[in-house]
This record gives sequence, C-alpha cells and structure tokens, in this order.
Amino acid sequence: MVENTVEMDPVEYTLRKRLPWKLPKRRNDVYVNMKTDFRAQLARCQKLLEGGGHREICVHGLGLAINRAINIALQLQASSQGALQLAANTSTVELVDDLEPEDPDEAGEPMTRTRNNSAIHIKVFYPDTP
Amino acid sequence: MSSAKVKMREKKMRNQPASVQYPASPLSMESSAQNGQDAAVTGGGGGPSYMPPKEGSKPPQQQRGWVRGHKKGGGGYAKEMPKYISAGAFARARAAEVSAMLKAITKTTSSCHVFGALPKHMRRRAMSHNTKRLPRRLRDAAYRMREKSLQAKKKEQAKSKSRKARRRHGNLLLEFNRRQRKNVWLETHIWHAKRFHMVKKWGYCLGDRPTYKCYRSCYRAMSTHCLLQDLSYYCCIELQGEEDKLLASLSQLTSKETGPTFAAALCVSGRRQGSVVVYRAGHYPSQPLGPVTFLWRVRTQGSTHRQLWIWAHPTIKQDLVSELQTVCQCCEAVVTPAPTSEQELVPEKTHEAMQISRTKRKRRSKDDQGPPAKKILGDGTRSPTTPVSWKSSSTGIVINDLTMEVVCYRLIGPQSHSVLAETLEAATDCDEINKTQPSCFWWPEHCKDEGKMSLHQQQADVFRTLKGIYSTGELPSGTVLGLTVDDPRLTLPTKKVKALPCVKRAQEVDEEKRRELMLRGVPERYCQSFLWERSVRDNVTENKISEQELNRMRSEVLVPGSRLSPTPLQGRVPILLVHHPGKQVGHEMSSWGAGWDLLLPKGWGMAFWVPLVYRGVRIGGLNMSLKHSQNKGTPHFPDDYPDCPAGVRFQAEQEAELLDKFRRRPPAKRTNYVKLGCLAPFRCPWQQLAEEWELIMKEREERKGGSQTQTTTAADTVTEEMTLYPDITVTKPQSHFNVLRNRKSLKLLSGWCRPTTSKGQRPCRVRGVTTLDSAAVTSFLTEHRMSLVWVRMLLLSKGKPELHAMVCVPVTEDIKQLSKDTDSCGPQELPHRNHFKSKLKHSKKGSKKAAASSLFSDKSERKGVGNPSASEPQLTTSPADRKSFHQSSEDPIFGLWPDPLPSVTSHCSRVTLGWVTQGDFSLSAGCGEALGFVSVAGLLNMLLSQPMEHRGIVLLRNPTSLYYRFAKINIDV
Repeated sequence: MVENTVEMDPVEYTLRKRLPWKLPKRRNDVYVNMKTDFRAQLARCQKLLEGGGHREICVHGLGLAINRAINIALQLQASSQGALQLAANTSTVELVDDLEPEDPDEAGEPMTRTRNNSAIHIKVFYPDTP
Repeated sequence: MSSAKVKMREKKMRNQPASVQYPASPLSMESSAQNGQDAAVTGGGGGPSYMPPKEGSKPPQQQRGWVRGHKKGGGGYAKEMPKYISAGAFARARAAEVSAMLKAITKTTSSCHVFGALPKHMRRRAMSHNTKRLPRRLRDAAYRMREKSLQAKKKEQAKSKSRKARRRHGNLLLEFNRRQRKNVWLETHIWHAKRFHMVKKWGYCLGDRPTYKCYRSCYRAMSTHCLLQDLSYYCCIELQGEEDKLLASLSQLTSKETGPTFAAALCVSGRRQGSVVVYRAGHYPSQPLGPVTFLWRVRTQGSTHRQLWIWAHPTIKQDLVSELQTVCQCCEAVVTPAPTSEQELVPEKTHEAMQISRTKRKRRSKDDQGPPAKKILGDGTRSPTTPVSWKSSSTGIVINDLTMEVVCYRLIGPQSHSVLAETLEAATDCDEINKTQPSCFWWPEHCKDEGKMSLHQQQADVFRTLKGIYSTGELPSGTVLGLTVDDPRLTLPTKKVKALPCVKRAQEVDEEKRRELMLRGVPERYCQSFLWERSVRDNVTENKISEQELNRMRSEVLVPGSRLSPTPLQGRVPILLVHHPGKQVGHEMSSWGAGWDLLLPKGWGMAFWVPLVYRGVRIGGLNMSLKHSQNKGTPHFPDDYPDCPAGVRFQAEQEAELLDKFRRRPPAKRTNYVKLGCLAPFRCPWQQLAEEWELIMKEREERKGGSQTQTTTAADTVTEEMTLYPDITVTKPQSHFNVLRNRKSLKLLSGWCRPTTSKGQRPCRVRGVTTLDSAAVTSFLTEHRMSLVWVRMLLLSKGKPELHAMVCVPVTEDIKQLSKDTDSCGPQELPHRNHFKSKLKHSKKGSKKAAASSLFSDKSERKGVGNPSASEPQLTTSPADRKSFHQSSEDPIFGLWPDPLPSVTSHCSRVTLGWVTQGDFSLSAGCGEALGFVSVAGLLNMLLSQPMEHRGIVLLRNPTSLYYRFAKINIDV
C-alpha cells in the first residue's frame, strides 16, 4: 500500500497532496514559500533579526522554494555587511499523497504513497564575539 | 392594524356619540345594487375592526359615502334623499345627537390626566407626584386618579416575584424552560447569549456573530490557531440494522455519479466520516434534499448488525426522516418509555415527595436540577410528543432520532488538535477497590473487562501520538478516533492560556508511530467508542457531577489549586473525535480550515466548552461557518443549494429580509436598481435563467442548421438574438433546473474552463479528456440542458464581489482590452432608463386620496393578483410568505423591477450567465473571490467562443454598480 508499485491511473484516482510535516514553529523560524512576495519574506527576516531581537533565525525551504530560501539568506548576509553568518543544512522530507479511488463500485481502498523532496534549513546568525 | 391599535381606538371612541342617524326607510336599503354594495362595505365592519372589503370594490368608492362618527351598530347611511321628513322624529334624532355630544365633552377619557385640562402655562413639573401643585379645583380628581393608579401598580407587583425569588435556581430553570419552548437552546446558550447576537433559526436559538469585533481575528484563528463552534443544532439520525439491508435501502437516496456514497468501502469500515448529497428516493438528479455527513460504527466481530449516524441540517431533517422511513419501510413508531423526558414534563415541585424533610428535599432538587433536569428534551425540529424511533418489521431496520442527544463541537484550524490534546486527557484507570465492587457508573464496570481496557490503552496511545503532529491538515481527512477521557473540568487552568504545539513534546513522540498514523490513519478498531451505546450515554449524562459539587470537592483538597487526586468515578466520558477535511478543491491553500469535530454525550456541553475556551480558541457563530465554507470554496447549506427545498425557503426568506431592509430606507435614498440595470437584486431567478439559456441554445441550433455559417462569436450572436426577440416569454411547462453534481461531467467542465496554453498554468493532463469543440458541447448539453454549476471566481485585478452580483459574458472587445492591458478595470454598463418613473407618478397621483383606505385593502388585492412568475420554482415557496413581499405590477416600488421580470439574460449590454451567492474579499486568496452558480449551457457557449488563452474569463458586476470586473472562472472537483 505504501510502496508505489502500482502506477497511478489519473482516471481512477484523484490525487490529493497532504501538507508537509512541520516541526513546531518557534518565533524565529521562517518557512519560505513561493506564493508570498519575495521582498515581503526578506523584510520579515530582517525584522526578526533587527527589530525582533533574535540572534539567529532559521530559514526553511522545501522543493521549489529552496532557491528562494538560499536567496533570502544570501541577501540577508549581503545587506548586513558581513555581520551575519550562514550555516546550511539539507534534509529530505517525506511527503504524503492521498489517492482517492474514483471507481464506481466503491470497493477500492484509498491509497497513500510517499515521495521524498529535498529541503534546506539555513541558520542565519550573528557569530558570538569572543 | 395591530390589536393594540384597535384597542386604543376603541378606548378613545368609547365616549363618542354612537352614530345617531336618521332612520331610513327599509326600502332604500335594498333600493339599488350599487347602494346595497356600498352599505355592505361601510357597514360590514360592524365595529371598529377594519375588515378588508370582500368584494373588489375600489378604494375611492368607499370614501364616497358621507361617513361620520363611528360606524357602530352596523347600518350605513341611506344613500337616497328621503322624500319627506317627519318633524318629531327628526327633532328627536337631533336631540339625541346633541345630548351625546354634550356627554362626550363633559367626560374626560381615561387616557388623559386631569392636568390635561390645564392650559400649558399652568402646568408644573411633577404635578402627578405632588397634587398640591395643581389648582385646588382639580386636586380632588387628581388625588382620586393617583389612588387608582397606585392600586393598579400594586396589583401588578403582586404578579411578579422579587428578584431574589426569580433568580432562585428552580424558578430560573422554569423560566428558562418557558423561554425555550418555541426555540430550543443549545447547552452553551447562556454562554453564547452573553457574548453573541442571537438569532432564532430553524427552531433553535443560535449565536450569529459575537458582539465584539472579530472578523479578522476569527479568520486568523482559522488559518493559524483554532476556532470553536457549537454545532449541536445539527440533527443526528441513527440507523440500525443489517449492513446489506441498510446499504440497499440507502442506495436509493444517493447516486454513485456524485462521488462516494454511503457504501464507500472506507466509510463502511467505520474509519472515515463520509459526506454525500441526498436525493429523494430514486429521483436523482432532480429533487435533492441536501448534504449530510455520515459515520458508520465499526463492525463488531462476527455480527452484521451495524449502526449508522447521519448528521443533517435541521431544515432538511423532516424530509430526510420521512424519506428514510420510506426507503427502509420503517413506519411503526416505537413508543419508548423515555424515562428522562417524562420526568421532566412533570413540574419538579409536584413530584417532590412531601414526606421528605426540608434539607433532603433541597438535595434532591439539586440533583434533579443538574443538567438532566434542564430541559434537554425535544428539539426545535419536532414537538416533544412525536415518536423518536421507528422500526420496520420487514427489514428489521430501526431509525432513531438522536437530535440533541449528542453534542457536537467543531474545531477549525491547524492547531485544533493541540487544543484537544491539552484539554482532554485519556481516562485514568480506577483503583482495585472500585474494580471489585459493583458500581452504578459505567467506567468501573468497563475496567473489569481486560479487552476493553487494552483497547482504551491503545486509543490513549494514538491520542498521545497526535500531540507530535504540527498541523491538523497533515492527517488523513475524515479520520475517526474513539476515546474515553477524564472530566476536563478537573484540569482547567486557572488562567486562559493559548495552546501551542510544544517542541519538546513533539520529540517525545515515537517517530515510527507517528509516521504510521500519518500514512494509514487510525486503525479500524480504535474507532470504537462507547458513545455509540445509548445506555452508556445515558449513564454518563445522569451521573455528571454538578459544578457545585465539583467546586466543593476542590475546596476540600489539601493543597489549594492542585488536581483532585483520585478522579471521581463519574468523571469519565466517552467521546468521538472526527477529523473534518479542509479545503480540498483548487490548488492553493490546500487543507485550509481542517479540524476536528468533537462528539460528546448530552449534558456535558458546558463541561467541555469552558475548558476549550480556556485554551485560547476563538469562538465563531453562524456567520463564521459561512466564511469558513466560503474560504474552502464549498457550497454552504442552505444558502447555496437553490435546488433543495431548504435552499428555496432560504432564498425566499433572504429576499423578504433584503426587501424589507430596502423599503425601510426613504424612497429618495434607495438604490435605483432599474437604472443600474439590475433585475433581481434580492434573489436569483435560477429557473428563468436556465429556461432562457435553453431557449437560446435551441435557437442557435436551429439557425446553425439553416445557414451553417458561424461568423460572429457566440456571445455576440446571443446579444443579437436577444435584441431581435427582446421579450422571450417562456410559457411551456418545463423541467425544473438542477445543479450539476455528476463528478465526471464536472471534471470535464473543469478541464474545459482552464486556459490551455497560458503561462503559469500547466496544460491540463489530457488523457481521456475530450477537447472542447462544438460536438462535445452538444453531447454534453443533451444531458445537462437545464443544469447550473457551482463555480468559484477570482477577480483578476480590483473589485469586491457582493451578494447577487451578476456573472456576465465578456464580448470580444473586452477580451481585447484585457489582453492589451492586464490591469484594466473592465467595461462599464450604461445607465438604464427608468420606464416606470412616469407610470409610478401617475399612479401616485391617482391613489393619494385613497391611500389611507387602500392601506388595508391592497394586501387582499395582492392576494388576488398573485403572479406565479417563471422564476418561481414550484417546489415549495408557501404562497403565504411570498405574496406579501412580491409587489404586484399595480403597486411597484420605486427602483425595483416589478414582476414578472423581462428576460434576465439579455437585460444588460453583457449577457448574464448566473449570479453570485457568496462574495467577499477573500483573505486567503488576497483578492476578491466570488462563489455562485452559472448556467451550464451559457458557460459552454461562452467557452466555445473564447480564445484559448483567455478561456474562462467572465465579468462580474455588483447589483449596486455599473462597473464590470474581470474574473477567472474555476470549477473545482
């Protein structure tokens, strides 16, 4: 059931993507998406670092948003004149899809399949001055 | 005229001279038909009550007779001049008149005070208080009057008890029971009534919206935290019987074409809640009743006996129950002794035995007046005497009406499970001592059973695993979890705290278990709950610890504020948690607004409500459930089901309400909808729309068959045609419109609506999907000629759609303008001419004189006119409530089109496709969003004519505006 052995037939199943699993969010976690305006997301990060009083923030990006997450982190670093440092981590996130059967006799069990997607977690922080 | 007014008038006229009249010769009464009729008119009243004339006499005619004084004692004036006068009789009559007049002027009517006789400059403040301020000649009378009024007051006071007495618990409950005789209260009523604007709807008192500002904060709660609603007014109907028999009878109510039905494998297993649109038996696709959700109880080993709960809206419950009775052949009402209800019917005081001592009596009544003594009996949708259970002898199916038996709370939002996880704690095991001795509570009995306890442990385990999940939307939709929990009042925090997921707690949870739960959902056997069993439910309800008792126990705890250490035995409640899916259609914001439904036994409503509120949830009312479904893009019941009887009723009510609001404004300040070119600002004539589009399609086909040329675009053709035949009168009796719910057809339509090659959109997956061409359209339309389809429209640039905005077809110039300038505001409608203005003026002049008398008569006139316009569906619309609001053509309202409406499609410069039923600025989409219905024929017609890259572009125009706005149409499946 879990293994994606059967090729999905789009006529017989409807595909529904579930939300990706998240860790509980702290105040200084920023999940980057592709819908919100880039400048708005950048401004949000800057606010957290400058006005919010956080020494470090974590920028998370999944899939298509990886690019954008990197972009945001680099922009932050560039605008801080080298005061900020980056530490990037990559990971693989397991995503769940629901396949709902469309067959008329309704005997089909709905299937779930998992697929993997890459994610990046960039820690943007002020290094501790010794 | 209201009865109070009548009384007032009677009082005033009491001392007026009775109509003294010259006795007419009996001959003249029936002398001519004309006079006879008039006499009947004037004398018909027979007293001060104003009866409308029975015959259709015109109002001015009534005024013709010289009517004076009061028409008491029947008998109008003779209309013909008498031939002779006998002096004696004449003098006697005049003398009587004079004496009556004298009597009238000497006697003051009781309504005015003595100092009414004083001229204004002699009146003093507080004269009625201090009679010495009056001139001496009037003092006596004033004194007498004062005495009288004091006595009257005394009498009144004796009736109402002191505040203390009124607030005494028993009396208060009696008062509450009296107040909810007509509209039943939910268990959280008093909590809501303090904070919400309450409305009386569907036989319940429901909170509509909070008194504080909360539109945005409620939205925020739904999208980031948790919003709580009391949905206990939803009616639960229980079906019991053999599985195959149940399925066989239920299959008549649904169709597999609309998606999974009652028989869907996953739902039958009891692991998921399902939802389905129910039709009258065997009538699909016409005559739908409305949407219901249903939940099967998990199979018990080796038994085919199943239990099914169907949750329905109170407006469709009656129809649904009768329909279920027919399909299950259940008509024998089972008269259950109903132990609780009868006890409650008897007033408490009488059945308190006399011999009990005073203190004991107090305690007894205390126990009685716990939640079960509160009137949780009957509900708004039925009278308490009707049977609630039906049985079938042939199929063995039992139908139970469980309305108000189960409390249902809905939590919406990604954090709703963390709220639940904080509020609820799996029931603690009971001690060894309690296990051994028999108990009247259900939990100790259960603790003896090893199997049940292990199941409970596993359920608690799953519940604990839930805490590791961040968002509710990560769970499989429709998951069911049964659980037994401790009384949540025991863990009530002292202060309101916002429940948030905890990082630490999330890490405690076993990763493997969490993954398993996410992928497979809750295993079947964990969906079992004892909430399904009536005996357990009743036991729990009866043995609930009262708030007072609980507080007493708390005060006896050694360390103040600590938890009660052995949980009292009564404090275990079986519950059911049902996941409800969020936004499932469309691509953006998926699973927005997902959450949990919490099902509880009755009586425990407040015990769970307050602890939930203390976890920092927002509370929403009825208007928030509307917003919830709007953001989810789903139709809301009963607003968006125009083909269901409940939807039709709702439309009529809404129209009456809006019209009433419109008429309350002064005429000069009203919106002139005629000038704005809006035919029906307060309702949507769906039937007329469907019929007109069918006619248009037919004519197009004929024309095509004749000439085989198709030069202009379809939309243009339509406008042309409509201008050629401006008043299409639909006369032939046609089939009723229906809403398209066939999934396959919807999918096809949805594919056709998408622009195929525009940027940002991937070309739709073409496999088994026919491309859009006229042949495909024709074959599609043969099936769904009279159909409407539910669409979601997103505005492209600016604009905020409103209720009943028109959805129109853009002409080619509009599309050109759009492609030139993507931010263009859209075309404008030229103001229409108000043809009715002059007509209205004429009629006003003529009727001004008659205005007063016609006030009473035109109601009856309207009754006579009663024009069944084409738009009116024959389904229900009780004629009584429509006709009083519908204006007949004789009595038009300025600024509104009188009935019958002209062609709705071609009234404006752009052809109308449909109307919006919910429209607002969508906070989730970030632009104006409208939901509504359009005619399938019209939609396909439009799509065919549009270029590929601009397919599915429509125009929206608000009823109060002349501007059209561009919008993109979406059909979500």
